[in-house]
Amino acid sequence: MSTIEQTMKSSRNDKPVEPLIFEKHVESMCGVDFPPLDVPESAIDETLAGAGINLPSFGQHDVMAHYTHLSDRNFSVDGNFYPLGSCTMKHNPRINEWAASQPGFACLHPLQDDDTIQGALRLLYETRAMLEEISGLHEVSLQPAAGAHGEFTALKVIKAYYAEIGQPERQVVLAADTAHGTNPASCTMCGAIVETVRTVDGQTDLEHLKEVIETVGANKIACFMITNPSTAGLFDVHIKEIADIIHDAGAKLYLDGANMNAMVGRVKPSDFGVDAMHYNTHKTFSTPHGGGGPGAGPIGVTEELAPFLPVPQVMMADDGSFYLDRDRPKSIGKVRSFIGQFGVLVRCWTYISACGPLGLRNVAETAVLNANYIAARLQDLYEMPYFSPEEGKFCAHEFVTVPRALLDKGVTLIDIAKRMIDYNVHPPTMHWPVHDCLMVEPTETESKYALDQFIDVMRTIAEEIEQDIEKVQCAPTEADIARADEVSAARKPVIVFTESEAN
Amino acid sequence: MDYTQLNPNQKQEMLQAIGIDSVDELFEVIPPSVRCDEGLDLSPALSELELQRQLAEMANHNSGAHNMTCFMGCGAYDHFYPVHIDQLSNRGEFLTSYTPYQAEASQGSLQAFFEFQSQVARLAGLDIANASLYDGATAVAEAALLAVNTTRRHEVLVASTLHPEYLAVLKTVLADLAVTIKEIPSRGFKVHPEDIETLVSEKTAAVIVQSPNVWGQIEDWDGCFGAAHTIPKTAGIAVFNPIACGLLKTPGECGADIAAGEGQPLGNALNLGGPYLGLLAAKEQYMRKMPGRLVGMTTDEHGRRVFCLTLQTREQHIRGAKATSNVCTNQGLMALRATMFMTSLGSVGLQEMAGQCWHKAHYLASEVSNLDGWEIAFEGSFFNEFTVHCPLPVTTVVEEGKRRGLLVGVAAAGRRMRGLSAGDELIIAVTEKRTKHEMEALVSLFKELSS
Repeated sequence: MSTIEQTMKSSRNDKPVEPLIFEKHVESMCGVDFPPLDVPESAIDETLAGAGINLPSFGQHDVMAHYTHLSDRNFSVDGNFYPLGSCTMKHNPRINEWAASQPGFACLHPLQDDDTIQGALRLLYETRAMLEEISGLHEVSLQPAAGAHGEFTALKVIKAYYAEIGQPERQVVLAADTAHGTNPASCTMCGAIVETVRTVDGQTDLEHLKEVIETVGANKIACFMITNPSTAGLFDVHIKEIADIIHDAGAKLYLDGANMNAMVGRVKPSDFGVDAMHYNTHKTFSTPHGGGGPGAGPIGVTEELAPFLPVPQVMMADDGSFYLDRDRPKSIGKVRSFIGQFGVLVRCWTYISACGPLGLRNVAETAVLNANYIAARLQDLYEMPYFSPEEGKFCAHEFVTVPRALLDKGVTLIDIAKRMIDYNVHPPTMHWPVHDCLMVEPTETESKYALDQFIDVMRTIAEEIEQDIEKVQCAPTEADIARADEVSAARKPVIVFTESEAN
Repeated sequence: MDYTQLNPNQKQEMLQAIGIDSVDELFEVIPPSVRCDEGLDLSPALSELELQRQLAEMANHNSGAHNMTCFMGCGAYDHFYPVHIDQLSNRGEFLTSYTPYQAEASQGSLQAFFEFQSQVARLAGLDIANASLYDGATAVAEAALLAVNTTRRHEVLVASTLHPEYLAVLKTVLADLAVTIKEIPSRGFKVHPEDIETLVSEKTAAVIVQSPNVWGQIEDWDGCFGAAHTIPKTAGIAVFNPIACGLLKTPGECGADIAAGEGQPLGNALNLGGPYLGLLAAKEQYMRKMPGRLVGMTTDEHGRRVFCLTLQTREQHIRGAKATSNVCTNQGLMALRATMFMTSLGSVGLQEMAGQCWHKAHYLASEVSNLDGWEIAFEGSFFNEFTVHCPLPVTTVVEEGKRRGLLVGVAAAGRRMRGLSAGDELIIAVTEKRTKHEMEALVSLFKELSS
């Protein structure tokens, strides 16, 4: 099929496929120009010179057109309700972007001397202090580049601590059966062994926790990685007891801070016994997700763990100036080049400063209110295993539904999710933390109008399943494309363009 | 402003729908002893106008490449990029989207990442590339893990001319995995294939060599990887500069199996070190063990070509403890900027940019080496960065430079590059942005200081 045929093929109201840059480029074009060379040329040794890179080329307008077309083929928080559970797709204020793009921040070289970047170091120091206050923990490191990177870094810190105090045999990390996949993967990266702790109704099974500790041996356990509120969207009611059990075993309690949006300003993790945690600035603190990064995953730890934090650390000297401290003899070393995701942390500072202490508290309250409102209005059609206001069972900032009755009528969870795309709603997280579930996180920044529209969409889809099931089974019919064949994609992966891929 | 959007009446309606009287009831499951009723001890909220003022004040307390002339490199470069990169990448449709799990709602990001992967593979001269990692340092560490996982061997040979921060991160990552790091010694500010031949053995998973190396000198990749390949299956890992590929032989052309590098020079600001993006490319045989996001081509139900995330069974959210890596994101926005930048340049633009870097760096090197007492530290070739021995303390040069608005380069002995040298070396980078006039200012500073 020729490109133009592909472009025009339209069996329904489908949008045309956008040709690849490799298919529409114009030989020897260039979308930027350079000043003429103002120095004499120097010969290039022929043995060093390459054969030349074959990159597609365009005039500048075609560059604009290509990416504008692509942008039109994306759902986003700006344009769509995006209730992706566990991802906290909240509004991304543009003052954050303005801040990070200030030349006085964006044009700083990472190896400059401290005395030339006092403003930037002040911002980092203040960000560190803010995150210490929000967690209640002794010291925060801004180094990790993402949540998973924060887990990895904190596990390293905990292991280094145990090595230091003569308990290197503590190599086992406990994680809930509903933990984020990054938890066990981060353990593997640290050479730790993962043991799973069961959950019952979205809560840690205390008896099983004790059993696992008994079986593994208390003296082998480094920490318990817990997500609170849990990945099922529930505050763990036993959190204090869990902390006590873990501490009695001589181990540490680690908090996966993915769900901080439900707690920020209302609960300090240190108050329920957390020894170490990571934040996801791209979840809780509104730094944009950018299609999958950049994020930042600062970690907070107690005083006894602090000496092991990675270098460098931003510090304030006695004279009020700021500096980067690389002399931490017990540090686990470096986890990322230079000084972390600075541009992301600028956005984080800006957001926390915009909200203030009362605003942050309101963020958590509103996030939780929004989730409970949707759950309450949908529970007659979408079963919610953990939600029952009559019994005083509420969700935190997100809820899980396993729509068994609808599924029994002959649709799959994917059908429902893809039908939501037809209604301009980004599907929630699916099949996680339990099979056949949708996990809905509306966030605090949506209006009541948006929430009501979403409720209408979900009710309409339930109605369609009753009356016109094919509409749901064939979804999406209104999206840019029909359902993508992900199975074939994995069976015979094509991950780069080669001329033979041209249609 | 906390960016919430409910008025009191709406809140009331919502509470009624839930069947409760106050929001506090939703938090009652939290034991009272752990509730933070006293509130956070943070400064009161700032309005946007106040934020702009405070941020501008902090930004104005920094000097950098915007108000000084930057000759600093060592893994972060002051390159030019056109304004439309900012304009396009800031489109909310890209900026505020998530990882493209839902192919039908994310074709824009997916196609851009597919094109990015294709461009990076071409730059590296290798078969495949992923959709990016955190930064150059983590890309090098992941490349080493890729080789370790593929060969099931537990030793990597690392050139001692590798960027010290990359080496530091590599050490942290490999520390708990029973993988030994052996450094390949350097002479004359580069490593030598015969040393690799001596060190490489059946235990060696990978040989890691950066070129241009941290001193700016071009290494003999051909010879180094040839030496690595005297042992079957040992991977040659090239740590590369994407701009240099516009002029010099690519990692693939020099026999590398895996290439890792810092993608910041491709359309991303200096940002005081981040966010950046790690580039990772490899031969096809490594595909199923590649870390990070991969976008693949497929068809939709109507037979049209579309894109989706693929080989997700490698990844942590499916495989948990058995995943190839714990990396869960790419640096989506940075990769988007990089692909926009490469598309804007094309072959011609990349070649022009690389050529200007080469010519300007060589011009400056020749001017500096003509000065009495100033000497280029190595004899071999370089691309856009070179090292000089200073005839006076490097710190004096750096300090005097700052007074004149010049970031003269990176002092190897400075504490930021600790481990490199205790000597008198200054590492100077020259991008296409530096003018003859700016280089003359640097040369006359050097001349005055040493006379």
